[in-house]
Parts: sequence; C-alpha cells; structure tokens
Amino acid sequence: MTAEPTPQVPFCLRLPAFRSVSWQQWLPAQLPSLPPGDLDLDIGDWSLSCRDLDELLHALDQAGHGVQLLITRCRDTLISAAALGLPVREASNVIPTSEVRGEQPNPPKTKVDLTVHRGTLRSGDHIETQGHLLIVGDVNPGGSASAEGDVYVWGRLRGRAHAGSKGNSNAKIVALQLRPLQLRIAELVARGPEDRPQPGLAEQACILDGAISIEPASPPFLPQQI
Amino acid sequence: MTNSRTILICSGKGGVGKTTLTANLGIALAGQGARTVVLDADFGLRNLDLLLGLENRIVFTAQEVLAETCRLDQALVKHKQEPNLALLPAGNPRMLEWLKPEDMQTIAGMLSERFDYVLIDCPAGIEDGFKNAVAAAKEAIVITTPEVSAVRDADRVIGLLNTHGVSPVQLVLNRVRPKMMANQEMLAVDDVTDILALPLLGLVLEDEQVIVSTNRGEPLTLNGSASPAAKAYGNIARRLQGEDIPLMDPAKDGRRGIRARVRQLMQTKIF
Ligand SMILES: Nc1ncnc2c1ncn2[C@@H]1O[C@H](COP(=O)(O)OP(=O)(O)O)[C@@H](O)[C@H]1O
Ligand SMILES: [Mg+2]
Repeated sequence: MTAEPTPQVPFCLRLPAFRSVSWQQWLPAQLPSLPPGDLDLDIGDWSLSCRDLDELLHALDQAGHGVQLLITRCRDTLISAAALGLPVREASNVIPTSEVRGEQPNPPKTKVDLTVHRGTLRSGDHIETQGHLLIVGDVNPGGSASAEGDVYVWGRLRGRAHAGSKGNSNAKIVALQLRPLQLRIAELVARGPEDRPQPGLAEQACILDGAISIEPASPPFLPQQI
Repeated sequence: MTNSRTILICSGKGGVGKTTLTANLGIALAGQGARTVVLDADFGLRNLDLLLGLENRIVFTAQEVLAETCRLDQALVKHKQEPNLALLPAGNPRMLEWLKPEDMQTIAGMLSERFDYVLIDCPAGIEDGFKNAVAAAKEAIVITTPEVSAVRDADRVIGLLNTHGVSPVQLVLNRVRPKMMANQEMLAVDDVTDILALPLLGLVLEDEQVIVSTNRGEPLTLNGSASPAAKAYGNIARRLQGEDIPLMDPAKDGRRGIRARVRQLMQTKIF
C-alpha cells in the first residue's frame, strides 16, 4: 500500500503580541525551528508600514521562507500588504486604523460588525472585511472595497465595490456619490451608471427583482445595530 | 545641514516626462541660486546625463561611491554652463540586483549635506527601483499626463508614497493641449486633480521645443527660452521655492478655474 501524500497545510508563523518585544529581535531566534519552505504569516495586531512589512518579508526570504498568505487584524498592515501585492486575509476582529483606534488598549472580544476605514482607497488598494464596511474617503478608479455586509462610502465611489461578498443579497452599497466602475451585490454584477450623478444626492444600490438597481439613498443610512 | 530638500520625481507610468522635468527643474533651481544636484535613480533606462548634455563627462558613478572606490566629489559631474547644478550618475543596470533602500538613503544623505535640493529621477513602475528611490526621499512630485492610464498609475504611486510617509506630495500635469481640453478630447485639469487630490505645482503645455532641446542635450530652461514649457518649468521651480505664482489656466475660462479651486478647497476640508 502506498502512502497517500497528505495535503500540505503550510506552517503558520505567529508574531508575538504587538510591542511585547520587537519582532526584529524575536525573529532570528525562531528561524532555526521553522519547517523549511513557504509558510503563512500571522501578524496579529502589529501595525506595520509598507517598509516594516517589506523588511520582515525580506528577513524571512533570506532564511528561505516565502510567505503564501498574510493574516492580520490591523488595517494599516492590511493596506501595507495590499500595497506590496501580498495575498492577505483579515482575522475576525479587526483593529481599525491608528486614526480611529479608540482609547481601549485591548481590542474588543466580540466580532466587529462595522469596520471603519479612513482615507481614500487609491488605484491598487483593496479592502475586504467581514461585517459592514464604512469608508470615510473616496474609492478611486482602480481601488476596490468588499464586505460581507453593506459597503458605505462617505465620499465618492469611483472604483469597484462588492457588498454581500459571501452571498447576502440583502446587502447594499451606499455612497455620497455613486459613480462606480463596477458594482457587485452577492452574485450579481453591474456596471456603474454612465450619466453624471445629481450633486448632493446620496445614492444606494441594492437588489430589486433579481437585478441591481440604483436609487436615492433612504434612511437609515447606516446599519442600526453596531 | 537640515534645510536641504530631497524630492523624488515619479509617475508610475513611463514616458510621461520625469527625466525632462528633473533636468529642467534642476537647471531652473540652480539658475535661481539654489545649490542643486540631480540623482539618476533610473538605473535601467538612465538618460538624465543625456538630457543634460553630460554623457561624455561621466567618470565615476553612484556605484563607485557606494563601494567607496571613489569620493563623492569625484563622481559628481558639474554642469558646464550652470555651476550650481551637479549630476550624480547612476551605475550600470546590474546595480539594481544588489542596491538596497539603505544604499539610496546613504547616497541621498551624503548629497543633502552639500546641496539645497536633491532631485531624484525615479524609474517607472512600483518595483524595487521605485522602492529604493522612495526610501531616500522626503518629498515627492508626481508627474502625469492628462490620460486615463497615466492618471491611474499616478494614483497608485500616490497611495504608495502615502504609506511610505513621503510628504508633501505635489502634482505636475505635463503635455497639456488646451485645444483638446477645450473640445473635451482630453481629461480636463479638474478631472485629474479631482481624482488625485494633490496640490497642483504646475502645468506644462505640450511643446515641441522640449523635444528639440532633448535632442540637443540642452534643457530648455538653460538659455532663457521663452517657449511655454520653459516658462512652466521656471514657474514650477519658483513655486517650489515658496513663491506664489498663479497657475496658468489652459481653458482661459475664469469661471471654470474658480469652480475647480472651490472644489479642491472643499475636498481638502472634508477629507
Ligand atoms: N511638455 C512636453 N512637450 C512635448 N514633449 C514632451 C514634453 N514632456 C516630455 N516630452 C517628451 O516625452 C518623452 C518622454 O519624456 P521623459 O522625460 O524621458 O519621460 P520619463 O522620464 O518619464 O520616461 C521625451 O521624448 C520628451 O521629449
Ligand atoms: Mg526617464
């Protein structure tokens, strides 16, 4: 009897808690005990700039480890990873950007229902969340936002948005100015409207009779239970 | 010296006018009395030396400076007619394989001790060459043409500059054709600033004198040319130095200009 090759689950390297030690000091001690080859990297709640993340990946690369998937709970790190073009997954309880991070030192234990992103999503930026997503800023052409719940853009939506990314067809997309390249709700896809929007009129997209339709946004604009 | 400014000139897309801007801005700043150095960070497609007419005077490059086989002042090439301007040439393309962001920081640090302005001509793209150059810069000028694809790439680059903490980032719009803009055959100035949301440092018209001067190895700003592009480059240099010079309005339509300004104002207020 020949042994079935067991499916390779990549080893997952977890960074210690944010700022408990410096990862630059921590990493070298871990390297010898790592299994050879590629691995997943759980950044936890570390807030890493593009440059930090690049440095970390470089250190791993030097030791012969590629990173297949990055897991993070910090939005800043998520954006850095997206900027470096890394496959990235967001861990369940998201820590918002440093700007919106509140006083509480500990991240809330409950699943976050609304993730707030401050700042414009520029071309090439991508955000993906569980729950609802609120973007305070624009989504530019070439940028994209995706949420299992609703997507709210307090600004101009000119890129792509996907609400109900896990199939929730009641999800909606609301923007102060809805001029997307493409909209998706659950499995449905629609191209953005060609005509210029009326100024000052927030619009929303939702599924009506099996098709995505766009109408003036109706209250309540934001989800009720947060 | 802490007053030195290290400015990255970048675009994302290639061929939009980075090298031309670097050369002309370098000459213009030097002509206005600022000690200026232009650093060629485009190791793959270097041609800053060519545009400045200094190709045949290069002996050493940044590569030898980093390897410490020559001193910095041996590698710096002083401009013939504009003694306030120097060029630090790039090494050969193989340099890209080993050059690290720290190396660029080292070079930029050395230059900032001697010059008021360090202008870095960035390679196109967002790969290693770009990352190396970004590491060395404190400020940036993003240059784009009024084309959808160039604007898209510029937007991507601005996002990366933001994550790297480069600030301020200003915008130059190049190869503007007023007639095409008026006929709406080309993106309008506010279409571009609307998306990129950056302060506009200058508009440069499409100008065949640019091509003529490129081929001669004499930047337009060198001999007091009165061509529109030469004036634009001179104005960009003055605005960089803090002078308040009104922007040219390609449409020459005051109403549109005011609307664009109001819109930009609102943008910066809200976000
Ligand atoms: N304002 C302008 N008007 C006309 N031609 C221009 C202008 N700016 C740049 N060019 C031309 O465009 C080409 C590319 O410019 P270059 O500065 O080499 O771009 P980059 O360094 O971004 O690749 C050159 O041939 C240059 O002469
Ligand atoms: Mg060039």
